[in-house]
Amino acid sequence: MLEMILCGRGGQGIVFLTRMIGQILIAKGLDVLSSETHGMAVRGGSINSHLRVGPFHSPLVRESHADVLVSLDPGETANNIHFLKPDGLVVENSPLPDDPRTRRVDATRLARDAGRAQLENVVMLGFVSALGLLPVSADEIKARLAQDPRERVRALNLKALEAGVAAAS
Amino acid sequence: MTETKDADVRFLMGNEAIGRGAIEAGCSVAAAYPGTPSSEILESLVRWKKELNHPIYVEWSINEKVAFEVAYGASLAGARSLAAMKMVGLNVASDPYLSAAYLGVRGGLVVAVADDPGPHSSQTEQDSRFFAWFAKTPVLDPGTPAEALRMTLRAFEISEKYEVPALLRPCLRVCHARQNVPISAPLPIAGVGPFKKDWTRWAAIPKFRLILHRKLNEKLSEMVRAEPECRPRLISEASGGPVAIITSGSVSSHVRDVAASDERLAQVDVYKVDMPYPVDAAALQEIVDSHEKTLFVEETYPVLELHVQDRRKVLGRMTGHVPPQGELLPDLVEDIMLSGLGAPTVAKPAPQIKARRPSLCPGCPHRPAFYTIKKVFEHAIYSGDIGCYTLGVNMGVVDTCLCMGASIGMAGGLARAPQGQSEHPVVATIGDSTFFHAGIPALINAVHTKAPFVLVIMDNAVTAMTGGQPTPANDYLADGSPGVGVDMEKLIQGCGVESIEVVDPYDHQALQETLERARRHTFDDGKGVSVVIARRPCVRMPNVEMPEERYEIGEECDLCMSCTRDLECPAFQYIKDDKQMVIDEDLCAGCGFCVQVCPSQAIKAKGSAHA
Repeated sequence: MLEMILCGRGGQGIVFLTRMIGQILIAKGLDVLSSETHGMAVRGGSINSHLRVGPFHSPLVRESHADVLVSLDPGETANNIHFLKPDGLVVENSPLPDDPRTRRVDATRLARDAGRAQLENVVMLGFVSALGLLPVSADEIKARLAQDPRERVRALNLKALEAGVAAAS
Repeated sequence: MTETKDADVRFLMGNEAIGRGAIEAGCSVAAAYPGTPSSEILESLVRWKKELNHPIYVEWSINEKVAFEVAYGASLAGARSLAAMKMVGLNVASDPYLSAAYLGVRGGLVVAVADDPGPHSSQTEQDSRFFAWFAKTPVLDPGTPAEALRMTLRAFEISEKYEVPALLRPCLRVCHARQNVPISAPLPIAGVGPFKKDWTRWAAIPKFRLILHRKLNEKLSEMVRAEPECRPRLISEASGGPVAIITSGSVSSHVRDVAASDERLAQVDVYKVDMPYPVDAAALQEIVDSHEKTLFVEETYPVLELHVQDRRKVLGRMTGHVPPQGELLPDLVEDIMLSGLGAPTVAKPAPQIKARRPSLCPGCPHRPAFYTIKKVFEHAIYSGDIGCYTLGVNMGVVDTCLCMGASIGMAGGLARAPQGQSEHPVVATIGDSTFFHAGIPALINAVHTKAPFVLVIMDNAVTAMTGGQPTPANDYLADGSPGVGVDMEKLIQGCGVESIEVVDPYDHQALQETLERARRHTFDDGKGVSVVIARRPCVRMPNVEMPEERYEIGEECDLCMSCTRDLECPAFQYIKDDKQMVIDEDLCAGCGFCVQVCPSQAIKAKGSAHA
């Protein structure tokens, strides 16, 4: 069982990220439910996705139930921290150093280095998977991204994923 | 058919599962108007059509009324058909919908209506199950995406069997949830044979309407007798305990998970009703009578609760145990369930949420349009409408937002009231898709009555808020096949408008001059409504190329904050510690409008010499 919140601003690729993780997990035969934010909020507003793996019916994570909070925008972490278990872990896109409850990676900078700031979600995915927080390995994600028929997108995604993985070691 | 496997499992959004259900049911005509949280239903049908090389006809209709009528026509002509919309869209389609309930259908007709408790992206929290009751039509209420697919198939069967339109009511938490959903091979295109003339039915005069009403009532009674979905079914272990919960739809999934996670709730019998109307009221009463207490947890109106005649042992919305407004999120559901049991609830501190407000995108052509409207019509009443451009409220250029098309209708009234007309001219703003949807009759009305206001149509060539669906002005249809683009200027001319001008909102000077001419025409010369079309494609559309140019802020900046306050461009960021305004290059779209309007002329193209 895994319960996870992914948060950030509209436009940061949270929906894409949630969907991809879910697709890989169901390919492994797991039961997955997720919930996405659409509509007005995606125009730069606060958004989050819920992801639940296990024998659930509702797509929503309850307060103090999330194992992990993945935050693509440090300004959004506080808006979602109530979902996290007392012993849960925050993974945050930020240049600041780690603290006992928070692992941080400067995904925006790594994404820019990889070619586009918009790749920060993929950097984050590499980082989170390399930390062993998902029931799926970085290699499995890599295999999935390598299936993208668009050559340039494929190359950029793989580079961003690698950068995230490397930052976790 | 290109699909190789008959059965598969996909990670589907509820809306995609509904689309898939329609395909599997042999549906051959689908029409919709986009609106959150329903838009992906037709979008997924377009994708299934392509993936399966399926012959289904799909259209984005001009509005929900027409979408329903197209689907209804197809049903009378024998096809299984689908109309999809958000719940306020059903208000627009209510006239034909209620009439169709009496006349009935031939090919199965499913109307998928997405509800938005919260509300997250809508004007109301109305409950479409209540609407189904009002219209006397069956409604299925899925709890998960996988159930949405199964219920779509059932809705087609029930509609066709009883010859009545069937409503499918997914809430946002089903529409925008994803789940591993088993899919099956589509049935062949279904049908009940071609149109059969029968004016006593399809063109019934009032005398026959009475007969049809009686027949409809008989259909509903027969459904309750024959269809298992009308009866509550136990979704927990039979506990023999003193408390029951009756629930339906997406909130039933929260109820299930909360019940499974708390030992105190193990002694509760949880029942779910798949078809909340027509419901087997006697079966509900039986549950109530055989328990000490029965709690109704349903969203957003007490539809099942009101079907219980003797409610002395009932807790729910009518007794105040369930709040009368707002979304029933899992934590609230837990509190409701525990307090229903009489168990203590733990008072949790309310989460401290400072949600970032949405804004018009960097480079959005609506931003310069609003900016210049405010400049030219300084003390106007800004009559607004529904779409991305409702976000003009952030810039102080949207004063009203009622429903689709109301900017124009209301402008006629705002300009008519005798109080302070001369100090407050009225300017209405509306998007192109919303104008087509419900603005045209209102504009004709304004012309006919010589209503004194300026209308600015913000034409970005798509229905942008919901993801860029085509409008009647586009020369392509939902599936990309060729259509006829309706000429907006000719249309407006045909409405009788004398003053029509088209302008590029990126061109500040031209835009200002155009708005000034409209002001003279309408207010100075008193010649009635004038229309300005501010036309530039939405920056989010894939074929729109934005300039590579990036900008920086020079020393001339005196921190007047006009860029964040008046332009409200998200690319500008004020760094408090450095007391400096900067442009975030990743957010900037390169439109350069800020360069034209910065009061200190401090914004320069990057790399150019500073003055």
